[in-house]
Amino acid sequence: MAAQTPTAGVQAPPHEDTPRTRRPRRLAQSTFYWMVWPALILFAAFHTLPVLTGIFYSLTNYAGYGDWNFVGLANYGNLFGDDRVLQAYGFSFLFAIVATIVTNVISLAIAMGLNAKIVARNFFRGVYFVPYVLAILVIGYVFQFFFSSSLPKILSSWPLFRDNILTNETWAWTAIVVLAVWQACAFSIIIYLSGLQTIPRELYEAASLDGAKAWRQFRSITFPLISAFFTINVVLSLKSFLQVFDPIVALTNGGPGTSTESVTLLIFRGGFSGGEFAYQTANAVIFFVVITVVSLVQFRVLQRREADF
Amino acid sequence: MRPPGTRRWRRTAAAVVVATAVATTGACASDGSGDGVTTLNFFQFKGEALEDFDAIIAAFEDENPDIRVVQNQVADADTIIRTLLVKGKAPDVITLNANGNFGRLAEAGVFHDFRGDPVLDTINPAVQTILTDLGTSGDEVNGLAYVNNANGVIYNAEIFEEQGLEVPTTWDELVAVCDALQEAGITPFYGTLADAWTTLPSFNGLGAYAAQDGFFDDLRAQGEDVGPDSPVSFEKDFADVLERQAQLFGYMQEGYRGRTYDDGNAAFASGDAAMLLQGIWALSPIKQANPDLRAEIFPYPSDAPDDRLLVSGVDVAVTVPKDGAHHEEAMRFVEFLFETRVVEEFAASQNMVPSVEGAQLSDDPALQSVKPYFDDGRLAGFVDHQIPPSIPLAAIDQQFLFDGDARSALATLDNEWRKVAARTIPVTED
Repeated sequence: MAAQTPTAGVQAPPHEDTPRTRRPRRLAQSTFYWMVWPALILFAAFHTLPVLTGIFYSLTNYAGYGDWNFVGLANYGNLFGDDRVLQAYGFSFLFAIVATIVTNVISLAIAMGLNAKIVARNFFRGVYFVPYVLAILVIGYVFQFFFSSSLPKILSSWPLFRDNILTNETWAWTAIVVLAVWQACAFSIIIYLSGLQTIPRELYEAASLDGAKAWRQFRSITFPLISAFFTINVVLSLKSFLQVFDPIVALTNGGPGTSTESVTLLIFRGGFSGGEFAYQTANAVIFFVVITVVSLVQFRVLQRREADF
Repeated sequence: MRPPGTRRWRRTAAAVVVATAVATTGACASDGSGDGVTTLNFFQFKGEALEDFDAIIAAFEDENPDIRVVQNQVADADTIIRTLLVKGKAPDVITLNANGNFGRLAEAGVFHDFRGDPVLDTINPAVQTILTDLGTSGDEVNGLAYVNNANGVIYNAEIFEEQGLEVPTTWDELVAVCDALQEAGITPFYGTLADAWTTLPSFNGLGAYAAQDGFFDDLRAQGEDVGPDSPVSFEKDFADVLERQAQLFGYMQEGYRGRTYDDGNAAFASGDAAMLLQGIWALSPIKQANPDLRAEIFPYPSDAPDDRLLVSGVDVAVTVPKDGAHHEEAMRFVEFLFETRVVEEFAASQNMVPSVEGAQLSDDPALQSVKPYFDDGRLAGFVDHQIPPSIPLAAIDQQFLFDGDARSALATLDNEWRKVAARTIPVTED
């Protein structure tokens, strides 16, 4: 990474007189094009094109059917004055930040455990990956039953749980965090595990000879050496938690009231069942920009603190 | 510029999408024109009515050997009919639930105008008005009411008899009934606040009185100016509605905030509560749980017994597209559907009230208890069908019943109404 940065002044002067003759670069064989083109075309057809179409429709008053006009930026103007939209953004960010922290703490801990010499290690690794394979909606209904029927009986002395936490305006979101984290951990654990396996054993041997205890080893060896994996995990989790959708549909459907309405749920509801296709498309465009910016900023900040080795 | 390959891809992709849509709805059922038999594509939204319509179609085809009817029952009919109509692939005969979405489709002018068709004269005018109020293209009549539901208070007739209670006809009587039940140690209502939508039946029942005399027409006319100072607004006209709704929720069982619709039906079926704030649609799951239960319905009372209105919606509306390819055959099928014995049988099987005048209701006590309102035309439409679906009415009402802040709930409704009015930019003709 750092080695690539040229230091000013000490470079050899560029051979500006031979730009044409010094190009032995032969283009790659056509096989590689055959590999790239289908993917590119599919990507353009199913990703880029719909995005552009969406941006176009966000400038209209299209209801999803019938006639429409071009309305310029009116939809965007209305979005900024819509307190329901702002509330949805607030919820999405609160949810995403909490879920990202919890997910990464838990999955790093589990990954360390799974990386250590424990009995039936492969079995445990498989077990922890199961949540990722299961469909979230299916699991969501299991969790919903758990929160609304089992938990009130198990913790009947605790008013928060006895009255079904999913219908508690202030705390319903924590139940969604539980489900989302439960599922997201599987994927983060895999990434952390692969990170942990890149660390040479000798470092720990040397450290323990120097008298470093487990916590010190973690702080000075493990964490710095997997910081690139940490960056990836945090950025990916925040991104996908910002787009939280199915856990909410399965558990609270945005309720009680609109207290757990995320941006994606609002876009879906307003756009498809609410008949405000163009307006919510504009919302989606803004959301796309927001997520992109947040992810890029995160990358920048986190990468700067990554250890060079 | 787009590379030509992309365009081809897009066309292929579009073809795939269309093919899938056509395949799922069966819109391409072959015409069979060679043997003189016309095939009608019958779009049907109600999953539980699949077998009833199969029987109707069989009877129809026996009488009309030159017509074949193919029933297409789809999930999420509202979305699919929209795409089909936009693509110009309208089915020959359509049934839809008459909600706000139906009204907007009718306004778009995609349905046939039934004015002047004899079948229109057979329909109960009060019911047909509910359908027309949802929205039509100009002065047209764009759909026919087939069977209706009833939204009222479901009560356990046995408990009422045991306690010597009469069906309440005024608001004060209803409160008295609740108090009497509570004193006798019986839960008056079973509340199911965990499902946001279950707050709507009582909101609709009580709100129907506030929405009389063109409340929503006035509200629409004001559009962006709706607020506490405008001539009509939720803050002004719906305060009583919410107050009464909250009062009813005060008579719920302990823990009603965490219970769901299914819990409520099960509890009512086993006699855990005397009343349920639901509509006729809840009877079928209740009957499944306890076939012997005597459940009947009364409308939400107002201040005077004679003012009472039963909130009813058109559960199944029948329509045909404008300028359909098989219009004449389609109308023959529609007329067959509206024959008295056909609609009677269908309504009885579906636990609904037939719209055709003179058609008899099944002898189910619940249906018989709402019959007078249909006979006298003392009906009102669902309030929530008049509120744009982009306003989260159920969520706002649920929120209110949680925190009891009526002022804020009504202000939110007005605020949402204003915002929707401001951002709904009408399509202008070029």
